[in-house]
Amino acid sequence: METADLKAAYLDYLRRHGHAPKTVFAFADAQGISEGEFYRHYASFASIDREAWVEFGREARTKAALEPVWQGYGAREKLLAFYYTLLEILKNNRSFVLLTLGRSQKRQPALVPKVLNHFEDEFNDFVRELLQEGRATGEVASRPFLQDGYGRIFRRQLQFILLYFVRDESTNFERTDAAVEKAVTLSFDLVGRNTFDSALDFGRFLLHKR
Amino acid sequence: MSDQPQESLPTSKVARAARFAKTGFKVGANYVQHYAKKAVGADSTMADLHQANATELYGTLSEMKGSVLKVAQMLAMEKNLLPPAYAEQFRQAQYQTPPLSGPLVVKAFRDAFGHSPSEVFDEFDPQARQAASIGQVHFARKLGKELAVKVQYPGVGASIQSDIALVKPVALRVMGLREEVLRPYIAEVEARLLEETDYKLELRRGQAVAAKCGHLPHLQFPTYYPALSAARILTMDWLPGQHLKEFMAGSPSQAVRNQLGQALWDFYQYQLRTLRQLHADPHPGNFLFSLTNGGTVGVLDFGCVKDVPPLEQQQFLALLAPETLADPARLATLLTEAGVLRPADAPALREMYLRTLTTSLELVGRPFRQETFDFGDPAYLKSLYALGDDLMQDQDLRQQREPRGSAHFVYLNRTYVGLFSLLTELGAVVRTQYDT
Repeated sequence: METADLKAAYLDYLRRHGHAPKTVFAFADAQGISEGEFYRHYASFASIDREAWVEFGREARTKAALEPVWQGYGAREKLLAFYYTLLEILKNNRSFVLLTLGRSQKRQPALVPKVLNHFEDEFNDFVRELLQEGRATGEVASRPFLQDGYGRIFRRQLQFILLYFVRDESTNFERTDAAVEKAVTLSFDLVGRNTFDSALDFGRFLLHKR
Repeated sequence: MSDQPQESLPTSKVARAARFAKTGFKVGANYVQHYAKKAVGADSTMADLHQANATELYGTLSEMKGSVLKVAQMLAMEKNLLPPAYAEQFRQAQYQTPPLSGPLVVKAFRDAFGHSPSEVFDEFDPQARQAASIGQVHFARKLGKELAVKVQYPGVGASIQSDIALVKPVALRVMGLREEVLRPYIAEVEARLLEETDYKLELRRGQAVAAKCGHLPHLQFPTYYPALSAARILTMDWLPGQHLKEFMAGSPSQAVRNQLGQALWDFYQYQLRTLRQLHADPHPGNFLFSLTNGGTVGVLDFGCVKDVPPLEQQQFLALLAPETLADPARLATLLTEAGVLRPADAPALREMYLRTLTTSLELVGRPFRQETFDFGDPAYLKSLYALGDDLMQDQDLRQQREPRGSAHFVYLNRTYVGLFSLLTELGAVVRTQYDT
């Protein structure tokens, strides 16, 4: 059995039943393979979940970049386009999203589950590229030391948007769209040249000996 | 007003309220400046103050978008209700508003068609060419045809009512209007706005009006493309022409202006008298003027179409008829029928209403009573303004707590005020007599 088929079968099961199969054995048996064969593809159901998320992220990046206007976008617009494309994909997989993210929601709503780990790693790389690009064009301010923390800001932003999407109950999730627009604007206002840089510059000037 | 793209749409109620609070402060500050200047004897006129306030207010409103902008536009048309400085600032809102971010436009298309704009059209300009009141207009090309694509801001429909509840107290305070004056407008704006967010309805109406008015000379209506339209996207022909102010900047000849004015006048007369259905949003942003065939008017935006009930139509026309004004008894009867005068009114009050309305009617109805009318006559415009000022100043009238007359009248009134304002700006001489 192909890895892709196995994954599809598992995701189908998950969405139809609202939970993962009870055991790997039961699932493998239903697919007509041995339990051992399953492990040759995946270590656990959770690893399939993680991989599914990584795929969403990759698909969103590829699809967003296919847009002919992509080349003309600045860093901020590229990030917006990524989020909107991702949300479009997630909308088609909302049951899965709710199952994988929603479970941790009830207990600790602010906590982002492990299922996103790999997905977030790749997102970090993507954001790093964007920021580099932004620095080259002057869209993002160069701030030694401080800018190393930017990755965290955007990671939180991604988590915020995903959790917002999970809880959003507006028609066609229009409020999530608005949340994306605002969150991205805010983040780029923060990393772009702003009051902070001027204040720092001013402070440096004052400290300088006459 | 900066022309920098502004990407954040403050959609949440709190964010919008915060915006308004900010304006409130700034307007307050302008007043302080005004009185401070006065105290030190500097020459700060009331006009300066209005200008400063209007600029602040406009800056805020244009950031707010959507329905608030719409209210501003509607009020802008009621020049008589507003000090001229406000009116001028608001009129700008009809042309310049900051755009949606590119990715959000793409997203709107994907939601509607499952394809991005570059797949739907042969060519699509991601930079918006114009702001529409609750969206923006993009230029596109498909199969060699030039198209205008209107894209609506997301979530506009949902936030209308809370917006209006928000704009009301601020508008009242900043403009110094009383709630009673504004209420009929607000109620009307709300109803029309909800319709206006429905682009499918606009498409049907646009097609219907174009079919019915297509025979009128020197008018141009865009063809709408249902297959390329959805609830939040509307595709139509890209009409040639310029907005009124730009067009007038090219100093067109009197003959051209007359022809344009005539086309507009006939369009509205035909709608009121024959169709009983009005393109009820005659602000300059909805018309394109060009020199084609000695002057052609392109009519856009059928989001706001008003059906006029037969009774109100008859009353309205009767009020405008030349013989009405000459006959005070008939005027009184008509006004009583229309609910402006009430049998229970005290004689002094009745007298006051009759007096003001006769003055208004004499002036507003003047074009209807003559065979041809010169809207370019500055004296006429001036007296129209003066009338507005007088009405605002009139102590007796200001003391009247309740608005009177049918809500439909408010509508008709707004339409004609808008039309007159267009015609005076064109400076057109129009043959106003209507032959059936």
